[in-house]
Parts: sequence; C-alpha cells; structure tokens
Amino acid sequence: MIYLDHAAATPVSAKVLAAMMPYFTEQFFNPSAPYLPAKHVRESYESAKNDLAHAIGAKGVDLIVTAGATESINLAFTVLNQFPGSKCLTLATEHNAVLEAAKSHTCALVAVDKNGIIQLDDLRQKLSDDVALISVSLANNELGTIQPLAEIAEIIRQIRQDRLQRGIMLPVYLHSDASQALNLIDINVARLGVDLLTLNAAKCGGPKGVGALYVAHGVKLQPITVGGGQERGLRSGTENVPGVIGFAQAATETKAHLSSHRKQYQKMADIIRQELESIKTPVQDQDPALHNSIIAQNDKKVNRKSQFIRFLGNPKHQLASFISVSFSGIDAERLIYRLEMRGVLVSTGAACAANKGIKSHVLAAIGLSDAEIAGSLRISLGSTNTLENVHEAAKIIREEVEHEYQRMERK
Amino acid sequence: MNRKVFLGMSGGVDSSVSAILLKEQGYDVTGVYMKNWSKDLPGMKCPWAEDLADAKRVAVQLDLDFEVWDFEQDYKKRVVDYMLAEFKKGRTPNPDVMCNERIKFKLFYEQAMARGADYIATGHYARTDGKHLLRAKDENKDQTYFLYRMSNAATTHTLFPVGNLLKPEVKALAARHGLDIATKKESMGVCFVGEVGMKDFLHEYLDAQSGEIREIETDKTLGYHDGAIFYTIGQRHGLYLGGGLPYYVVQKDLAQNIVYVSRNLNHGALWADCLQLESLHLRDDLTLEKLAQVSQLQVRLRHRAPLVNCELDGLSGGRLATVSDFQNSPATTGAGRSEQAPHDDGRARTGSEKSDMITMLHFSQSIKRPASGQSAVLYSGDICLGGGIIAE
Repeated sequence: MIYLDHAAATPVSAKVLAAMMPYFTEQFFNPSAPYLPAKHVRESYESAKNDLAHAIGAKGVDLIVTAGATESINLAFTVLNQFPGSKCLTLATEHNAVLEAAKSHTCALVAVDKNGIIQLDDLRQKLSDDVALISVSLANNELGTIQPLAEIAEIIRQIRQDRLQRGIMLPVYLHSDASQALNLIDINVARLGVDLLTLNAAKCGGPKGVGALYVAHGVKLQPITVGGGQERGLRSGTENVPGVIGFAQAATETKAHLSSHRKQYQKMADIIRQELESIKTPVQDQDPALHNSIIAQNDKKVNRKSQFIRFLGNPKHQLASFISVSFSGIDAERLIYRLEMRGVLVSTGAACAANKGIKSHVLAAIGLSDAEIAGSLRISLGSTNTLENVHEAAKIIREEVEHEYQRMERK
Repeated sequence: MNRKVFLGMSGGVDSSVSAILLKEQGYDVTGVYMKNWSKDLPGMKCPWAEDLADAKRVAVQLDLDFEVWDFEQDYKKRVVDYMLAEFKKGRTPNPDVMCNERIKFKLFYEQAMARGADYIATGHYARTDGKHLLRAKDENKDQTYFLYRMSNAATTHTLFPVGNLLKPEVKALAARHGLDIATKKESMGVCFVGEVGMKDFLHEYLDAQSGEIREIETDKTLGYHDGAIFYTIGQRHGLYLGGGLPYYVVQKDLAQNIVYVSRNLNHGALWADCLQLESLHLRDDLTLEKLAQVSQLQVRLRHRAPLVNCELDGLSGGRLATVSDFQNSPATTGAGRSEQAPHDDGRARTGSEKSDMITMLHFSQSIKRPASGQSAVLYSGDICLGGGIIAE
C-alpha cells in the first residue's frame, strides 16, 4: 500500500506512541487531583504544552488545548461575541470548519486568485470599520496554497493605526488555521503576526482529536464548553494528557526535520509531476464533442495536453507535499477506486459518494469547471513516503489515468 | 456484440456478486445505482452515500460502466406516498413490494430497455425460466415474496444471477474476488428509513395523537400509546405496559384512537383460517379460473415464512367471489371497514391485476394472522403465481 493522503490523516509515529503510552496506564491520574502522583502528571502536561508552544514561538500558557482543529476554530470565532454588530472576513477556499463558524456571524468573503491566494487589494477594500476578525488559513487543505499571512498582518497593523487615529476602538484580529502547515512551515506566531492560530495534531504525526488554539495576550474569547474551568476557563473538561504529550512530541519531531522534509517532498513531488505530464491523453480529433466541451471550459488554447491535465496552485506558494491536479473528462471517483485496487490511496475534490455528492467548494472558488473538479486528484505526501514508493505510485497513477482516458475514448 | 445488461447495484453483496457472474458470462454490463430516497431527516441518515460508494467501487473494480439513475421523485410518489396512505388507514404496507413493482421492474426496466438493453438484472434471490417467476434455489433467501407483482414483460427480460446459488456460496464468491462488501452487514428493509426505524420516520410525516391502550376483555385502560396508526395487530413489543405476561394488540379503533390489547394468545384477532385478498395480481396468463385448476396451491404470508397450503374461496363451487359478495358480509364489519372502499386506493394497476375483486384464501388450520397491507403470495411448486394484498 502506498499512502498519498497525508493531508487527511497521518500515522502516529513510534516515538509519539511511546511517549503517550505511559499516560494511558501508569500515569493515568487526573491532573487536578490533590495527591503527588497527580501533580507529576500535571507537570508533564504543562511541560508538553510548553514544548508544543515553543514549536510556534509561543508559551504554554498561550495555548488552549481542544479536541481537534474544528473546535479550536469555533473557539477562535467567539472573539466576535464581545463586539456586537461587528463582522468577519474569510476566504471561499477555507475549510468548512471556518466557513460554518463564520456563518454564525456577519461575514464577507475576500477574493482569491486562480491559485487560491488571497487578493490583498480586495482585502483592503473589504476591511471596513466594522470588521473585527479576519480568518485566513496558513495553508489550504486541498491545494496546499500558502497564504501571505505576514503581508495580511501588515495590512491589519496599518488598519489598526488608522482606526485609532480616527478614534475607532474596534480591534481587528487575525486568525489562521495552520492545521496543514505545522510539518512543513516554520511557524512563528510573532513573525506571522497572528492573534489566533489553530493547530491540529492529527496532520503532523500526532493523535486524532487533539488540537490547540494559540491566543495572543489581550484577545478575549468565550468558552463553548463550560465546567471545571480547565484551560484558563476557555475549555473545561479533564485534560487530554496523553493527547497533548503525543501532540508535543510530534510537533517537536516535525520541527527538527522541517527543511530536510521539505527538500525530500519537493523531490518526490517533482517525480510525480513529471510522470503525470507524460500521460497520454485522448487525441482531440478523435472526439470532437469532448474536445469542444473542453475548449469551452478553458478559454486559453494552450497545448493539447494541458487541456486535459492541469496542475492546481502555484508550486512557489504551495506546501511541498501537495500535488493537486485535475484530469478533465475523467471521473476521479473511478480513478480512486482503480488506484485503491492497486494499493495507492489518494483523495479527490470531486463530488463523490464518499463526500455525499458535494463537490469541492475550494476548487469551485478558484474557478475550475465542473469537469475539472470531477477529475481532480489531491496527492499529499508525508512520513510514509519514500522516493521508491512515490516512483511506483506515480507510475500506477499514470497507467490508471490512461486506462480511464482509453475507456472514455471507446465510448 | 455481447448482450447488454443493466444491473441494479445496491452496494450489497448479492448485486455485487451478480456483477461478477454477469461479467464472467460475457455480458456487456452497466452497473446502475438507483437513487430512491435521499432526504436526510433529522437524526436519520440513509446509508445511501456509503451504499453508492460500495456499488461504484465494485463496478469500477470489475471495470464496468457505472451510472446513477435518479428515481427519487418517482419513489416518493409511487412508494412512500402509498406507504403513508396505507399507514393512515391503519394498515401495515410493504414498501419493498411496491418498490419492485413500480420502480425496479417498471421504471428501471423501461429505461434500460430504452437504452438498448437485452436484459436487466438484480441481485434478488429468485429465478426465471424466461417466462415464469420461480423461487430461488436458496429457500431461506427466496425473495419472490417481494417480486410477485413484477410484470410479465419485465420477467422475461430479467436475469437473477444469484438465484441459483445459496447465500454462503454468494458470500464465498465475493470473498474469493476480494470484495470488501463480502463481510458487509446485510441491509434489511427499506433504505430510506435507515437505522432509526419506521416509527420515527412516520412521526415525521403523519400526525399522531396519543390515546388509550385498553384491555379488550375488560375495557380497562392499561396505558397510553403515541398514535394508533403505529401499531400492528399481533404486535407485542413497544406497548410499555409493564411486566408480566405480554399483551398483544388485537384491535385498533382509528376513529376513537384506541388500541385494544389482550393477554389471550388465543384471541380471535390473532388467528385466521381465512384471509381476504385485494389488488390481486396474477402472473403469466393466469385467470382465476385457471388458478382454480392448480393443484396444491400454496401461499407465503411473510418473507421467509414457510409455504402454507390453501384454497381459493368460491372456486370449488365454480363461482368467483366478488366485492359485492363481501361488502355486507359479517367478515367485513370490523372497525372502520365499511366506510372504506375495499379495493381502490389509487394503486397502479397492471394488466393482470384483478383489483375489483376480493378473493378469500382458506386454510385447513388456523394461521397466525398477518397484518393487513402485507402481501399473500401464491405458489404452485417453484412457480410464483402472483398474490394479493391482505385486507382486514
């Protein structure tokens, strides 16, 4: 089996698992209990939170641990609660957790370009005086597109100054969902200029169901879950000690290998891109109907191949581990089952049964046609990949795409 | 050219193995997932998305063409609405029978033929000899009970690839081909009701009022129900009347919204030595006269229930019973009965349906009374002769 869907889930590494294990068994104590063994568990927990925070240039006390990134995002949006009548800005390409959280407030969307990158001019235009929160992911979960967060932060800084100058007291906060980014980008909250940052353990070799929200000083949130007052009262419930231990271990590990991983994924991605570029697509003369439909979808007449195969996103502004590609005319769901049969696991943004027939809003937002979305594949590399298995997988993908194109031509 | 088959694929093991068999037999197979009902009700999700994925996965693995045909609106109109109407009348309809008659072996069949099919196929446990509908080889799995209303035309153009196999053989075939669905839990009953159950579904669509549960012998109020229409004669679960010997529902007064129960397992309402059938559907070129000449007529009153010997009323005397014979007879004076037209509830009629006729089925021994609205399906040996809907 060759796994190419690390953006969906990552295996827990042996080290991470080993670090977590004692906290399920011997060190099971409730960190809030009064006896000494429990105090030791609390110390381990706080120390793990510190390690995790250091991985993003923060302190443990700045982190609220949540049950996954979705909860972290929902918690971040509570910053708006204290400013009735305020609104938030986000992108149409954001994860559903962000879009749904935004929906419960007044929200406007900032435009993105064809690579999914935020249009800063549009942001400036939409940053009216009632905007209190901007939520932009650090890296998109379908395209791998990296957003220019520092530039966004700079715009926000100017807006803050401008507002103060005009006596407007409403603050503007910047939230970023960094779920996909921790294992490929050297995150530093100060450098990025974010006020709120969402982290996800499950995407970087940690356990599922563990996330965190970085909260800068002075940013006031409202708890969604109330109870015993854990996590500074912002997230009650007995602490997930093994989860946080595992998350911290994973984050520390991944941080140590950041640049070597990036280089490695770059190499692997090149192998895949090269192989996919050599795919034999249908000859346009043989199928005028199909050809016309494809011409109609793409305004630009480039060479014949690129009318069928299109790489999404700009590699210069993309996580090295992402290859998002569209094979126009092909049913990607079929392709996924063919690949699965040959031991290659990938994902799609197509409207398939697995996602209840809902096509990717991300691919629609960057202007892809229905045929392009239906033929889209998301390949995301990670710890299980080697040059060898990526070579092998690329060959298999090429063969199966060609198989599907041939089947299409027979029709 | 290979003969063209459109195979209804549900994502289950039976239709998946059917796909394998048809492909092996050299047919040009197109897998079709029939989308019947996809409304997500609060708290109840149809497993249709997963089923569709399973069906498509198998089709793709076999390198078959695969399509989704949307029968949602037709299914709502022709199956769900019928079902709701029947429940409103206090009966217990069988939507699977109607789905087969009106969707799978009607719309699916017609569309497939229009697309140039030589045959349609499904994963039902049944057989045909090109003309008759025959019971499956696996007596325990035989599904002709649900198929008796399929048209003659559809029958001559339908393949049941697993009808000659036993279920364990089908599962073994699936496993041998490495199909993931070999171990899939079998879906029971109606898809759209999902796991939550018929009652919650009905609550969404039908107005129900709470009412009394009374003991029929004493007229004493034992408890309360949440809508008489949800109860079936013979039912003993879900009454919440406390411990001790179980109570059975023996009568429903829909007008007064009272459910009558009894502890007496021998209560007359629970047993029958004859049943009235309506909306009779006779298969092939059968007429009631011809049916009279069938020796050893047998009936199945529930899916997987054993076959029971029976006789059709009036036939031995040479005269056929008709509606008018029964309208004022003692047998039809049960609660609410006389107000209802006994036959016509807007059902689609097939050419051979004798819907203006009430037919009496007689049994040599008392049988446990099946719920009205369910089907009684007639057989002579392996041949399914047709059947009818059980009236009160």
